[in-house]
Amino acid sequence: MIAPFRDILLLAATLFALGAFCAVVRRNLIMIVLGIEIMLNAAAIVFVGASLHLNNLDGQTFVLFILAVAATEVSVGLAIIVYAFRRTGSFDPRHFNLLR
Amino acid sequence: MTLYGILFYLISAVVIAATAVAITRQNMVHAVVYLIVSFFGTAMLFYLFGAPLLAALEVIIYAGAIMVLFLFVVMMIRAPSAGESAFAPIQWVPAAFFCLVYLVAAVLMAFRSPGMNEPLKMLSASPRQFALYVFEYHWFSIEVVSMLLLLAVIGALNLGAGRKAGVDEERSYRDKTPQSVED
Amino acid sequence: MVGSPAHPVDLAALIAATMLPFASFLAILVVTRGRPRLSAWLSIGSVTITLACSIALLALHSGLTTPIGFSADLIGSSGLNIPFGFLLDRLNLLMIVVVSTICFLVQVYSLGYMAGDPGFSRYYAFMSLFTWAMMSLAVSANLLQLYFFWELVGLSSYLLIGFWYEKFSATQAGKKAFVMTRAGDAAFFIGILLLFIHTGDLGIVNLDSRAALAGVPPSFITLSALLIFGGIVGKSAQFPLLTWLPDAMEGPTPVSALLHSATMVAAGVYLFARLFPFFSMSAVAMSVFLAIGTISMLLASTMAMVSRDIKKVWAFSTISQLGFMIMALGAGSYFAGVFHLTTHAGFKALLFLCSGVFIHRFETNDVYELSRLGAKRMLIPMVTMVLGAAALSGLPPLSGYFSKEAVMGSLAGLPNPVWLGAGLAGVFLTAYYSFRLIFILLFPRETAVTIPVGTPSPPPQAAGIPAGAPGAWAMAVPLIVLATITVVLGFFETPLKNFIGAGMLAGGSVGGEALSWTPLAALALALAGVGLAWVEFGRKGARQIGFVDRIPILHRLFAERWYIDRFYGLLVNLVIDRGISRLCYLNDRKVIDGGIDGLCEGAVESGRVMAVLQTGMVQYRLLAIFAVLALLALYFYY
Repeated sequence: MIAPFRDILLLAATLFALGAFCAVVRRNLIMIVLGIEIMLNAAAIVFVGASLHLNNLDGQTFVLFILAVAATEVSVGLAIIVYAFRRTGSFDPRHFNLLR
Repeated sequence: MTLYGILFYLISAVVIAATAVAITRQNMVHAVVYLIVSFFGTAMLFYLFGAPLLAALEVIIYAGAIMVLFLFVVMMIRAPSAGESAFAPIQWVPAAFFCLVYLVAAVLMAFRSPGMNEPLKMLSASPRQFALYVFEYHWFSIEVVSMLLLLAVIGALNLGAGRKAGVDEERSYRDKTPQSVED
Repeated sequence: MVGSPAHPVDLAALIAATMLPFASFLAILVVTRGRPRLSAWLSIGSVTITLACSIALLALHSGLTTPIGFSADLIGSSGLNIPFGFLLDRLNLLMIVVVSTICFLVQVYSLGYMAGDPGFSRYYAFMSLFTWAMMSLAVSANLLQLYFFWELVGLSSYLLIGFWYEKFSATQAGKKAFVMTRAGDAAFFIGILLLFIHTGDLGIVNLDSRAALAGVPPSFITLSALLIFGGIVGKSAQFPLLTWLPDAMEGPTPVSALLHSATMVAAGVYLFARLFPFFSMSAVAMSVFLAIGTISMLLASTMAMVSRDIKKVWAFSTISQLGFMIMALGAGSYFAGVFHLTTHAGFKALLFLCSGVFIHRFETNDVYELSRLGAKRMLIPMVTMVLGAAALSGLPPLSGYFSKEAVMGSLAGLPNPVWLGAGLAGVFLTAYYSFRLIFILLFPRETAVTIPVGTPSPPPQAAGIPAGAPGAWAMAVPLIVLATITVVLGFFETPLKNFIGAGMLAGGSVGGEALSWTPLAALALALAGVGLAWVEFGRKGARQIGFVDRIPILHRLFAERWYIDRFYGLLVNLVIDRGISRLCYLNDRKVIDGGIDGLCEGAVESGRVMAVLQTGMVQYRLLAIFAVLALLALYFYY
């Protein structure tokens, strides 16, 4: 007996909200990507919990994919950030407003 | 409440606390280290939920690879530590409001839905079972994901290699941009 | 489709006759544009084959009783079937021979007339286009197909009138012709649609059978007949759309000969003959046609009496002769109309081609000027022109005499003597104005000449067409051929009458019972017209001033073409320019433009507002996404 699925959901929701808050509020490109990682992680927790709850391995499989996508996103995203930093010398997202 | 239950709540508290601290750090190295703690906690949760392989992967990929990558970037670039201004109200007030809305929705949903209340039984999928399952039913997705990873490698290499071409051009560009910054 | 199926040989001949000119049109435009001589020979070659095929078809089917038909579905859709095919009966056998003959002669003539023109290839391309359209029009099996080629003929007419597009007046005339005929064609098309709605079949054979229209109310037949007649009025330049034809003389003279006298304007009359049984089902419509034919005939004759421009005289005379044809058909005489069409095609083409020789030689259109420069010393054109004018006036033994006699006969058969009187007056006027022109040309008077404004012309030279001039033979031969036709054709009245009369599809009387004195009266009046012209223009000491010229008001009236153009100008100015256009303009400016301006300004303003929101900052976008997600979560669960 562990905990009810409800509590797992609440934990994931809290993590997700924290990640979203980080991505939206922090004026730093790296922290934005970090926030996104936190959100992905929260989703992964829900998937694993649901896999146990529903007694179905598909949820765990999905987490595998989330890991892969997160790795991809971070590698490309960080490369872009480094590139952008070399162009402008700043991490501040307000400096990347050329599309305005 | 069983031992596992106590463990779950403990680890949850650690995870949430670590994350909350991480997102508020001014120093990015600290933030990344706190997040590594958070991801370790998550890995333990995975183990608790009967996914030992995923727990291992979480440690290896998230805590190991991704966070170390972040750390490398942060250390390599040596960003101006005082560069980031304090939390701007125009951003954090609405963000906090919507986080609240979102949390309320989540709580309501979690408490309203039936069948959420029974404590989960302990079950475990051994790596062998899991691998058999994945390669029996999801082999094609695995291929797609491997393609995605390959593309990520190419993209990252391309972004890294493109820097050398026009350094001067970038310099001149960079000199111009700060004027356009505004709050 | 009623009618016996086509023999493969006929089909081949017909396709060759109709499609070859089109092929040469395309070939000239696409391939040989840069090589004028090759283009000309391509075009003439194709029209020669067309002529040969037409004559062969006529020879093969001289005893044709039931029309030959062939059709294939062009557009097939539920409940809507538009066949595309051809129909051969005696009428269009005759018509295709007439058309191809004139086309052939005029194209040969153009070799000389257009020689050295920079647009030589283009000219022949348009000529081929016209030949194709006109031949196809003549063999069309249904009204919609006919309308299609009708418009193509109008298009080639427009292109050829405005052939010298550097000349402002030429492009204006082309536009005028196009717009005025289009006005008629709009009515024509509405008529076709009405017929289609009520009968569901636009086949000409079908429309010409009384049985097919048995269920249609007579008032409806009258309405659609009048509407279709609108197209005829436009194309044949009848009252009230008659003023485009004289202006169309801006085109090259062979074009005037081909399109605007012999064939294209006759297409209206041809359509009338084609649908003759249909039209004759409505007595009201027939009397309207008769009246319109009469009015245009008389109006155009009076205009011709005062014109100094040689081509315009013949243009007015074309209108009046077309009026004669319409009168004859309106009077119920199918044969007289068709016969007059045939003979008129011959002698009017002849007259135009003769004038073309003069114009080509002396480079002026003014009759007095031509006379002064020595037109009468050009032997072949002058003799053939006199022949043509005599035929036009209806003097025996030329073809015009016979056909005009047939027309008079049909008019005499009507109960109301007014028509006959008008017709006889027309005969007198025709003779007067044609011989006025001839006498002016023959007897130059230095005193009567007022030198027209224009370029000084070269001094008169040796008689006749200079032997060494390029293309002289090309211009002379068609004249001689046409003159021969003019002389000879009249004697074929009886065989033609049998041929046409027996070939009629259904209904209609073959011809009115001629009163015994009408031919004599017509002849006498024609002679009187010639005599009057002689007294005023021909005899020694005549001042060459017509009786009309002595009455200034009448002269002004005729010279201004009865103020029809002025009236149209006023109408267009007042109603269209000041009224409709102004309304449209205001609507455009205030409502549409204003609305669009408002929209644009609104878009710009809202864009400005949005631009304030859009800071180009990635986090605001993230925030928006997050907000929407949160609200969506709320929306979906509660």
